[in-house]
Amino acid sequence: MTRIPFRRPEDMSDRARELTLERGNLNVYRVLANAEKVFNGWMQAGQDALTSPVLSRRLRELVVLRTAYLMDSAYELGQHHDIARTAGLDANEISAVTSDSGWQTDHFEPVELAVMQLTTELLTTRGVTASLFDQVHAALGAEATVEVLMLISRYAGLALMLNALDVDLDETARLPNIPQRTAEG
Amino acid sequence: MTRLPLADMDQQPERVRQFIERRGNLNVLRLLANAPNVFGGWAEMVGEIFASPTFSARLREVTILRVGHLQNSPYELAQHVGLARAAGLSQQQIDALVGTRDLDAAGFSSTERTVIDTVTELCTTHRLSDDTFAAAHALFGDEALTELLMIVSCYYGLALVLNAADVDIDAVARFQP
Repeated sequence: MTRIPFRRPEDMSDRARELTLERGNLNVYRVLANAEKVFNGWMQAGQDALTSPVLSRRLRELVVLRTAYLMDSAYELGQHHDIARTAGLDANEISAVTSDSGWQTDHFEPVELAVMQLTTELLTTRGVTASLFDQVHAALGAEATVEVLMLISRYAGLALMLNALDVDLDETARLPNIPQRTAEG
Repeated sequence: MTRLPLADMDQQPERVRQFIERRGNLNVLRLLANAPNVFGGWAEMVGEIFASPTFSARLREVTILRVGHLQNSPYELAQHVGLARAAGLSQQQIDALVGTRDLDAAGFSSTERTVIDTVTELCTTHRLSDDTFAAAHALFGDEALTELLMIVSCYYGLALVLNAADVDIDAVARFQP
């Protein structure tokens, strides 16, 4: 049961309301909008992450699901269980990513395995061995590696907020697919 | 030794360059500038956290040092110890926040102690018990408690990026809040 009230879109600033409605008016946004002095920046950071074309949607969802699982966020898992299906992950793959070790199979591409390994190691030990980091960097390049790290960073931090406020999963509303920007931006 | 190249400032888009000129020519910012598509929103978020009048600089630095310690981030600690001192925290209090002295004997106010206990429980268990939530909520209310969580979220996540990329502590450059 969500521990604080939802902010109603009609009570938000114009920009906060626009950012919230664009992303499906989800419980997570209506709760975090209580922090009205920092909400817009946090929402803009999310929009940047969702619209950057640097990571494929499939790789993004693998990172998000792995992070949600390791951070024990029922809300993130509930949202992204469904979103991942629209990004090319099937039910078996989703079950594998959201388990302790089921993801460690050669069903996944080497780069996907390396990214999931990095996510797992980082969230369980707060660090990454140099060889694993170098493997991901070599496969993805610097820009995409930083985006992967920023994605883990965002969803790990968000999981803390969702858990702290015990935010209820939306009954049916899910994050809509926001189109990625073109390379020209 | 930082595991990724640090972006060259001359090659950066205007908004990235402006942020770095304002906040400091820091290794962490040059690392994140490798990802210009997501730098801008993150920078706006950080700007809002430091522009907000909700928390005193002192309470903000208490929060950040505690998160930096619990996330095992020498970079965050190195950047924020000076800010913590400038915000009025004693050396004994700084030591207590980073785990080398007794928290109970460091002379924190009850508000500061509630923040420290809330942050500690959240970062170590990933959730808050009913009692811990109730104490923090009674003290801060809906808006400020959520904003506190935003600060924790930001630095908890950033520590992961810093640790993964093993970012070197800047020789002299320091973050300008």
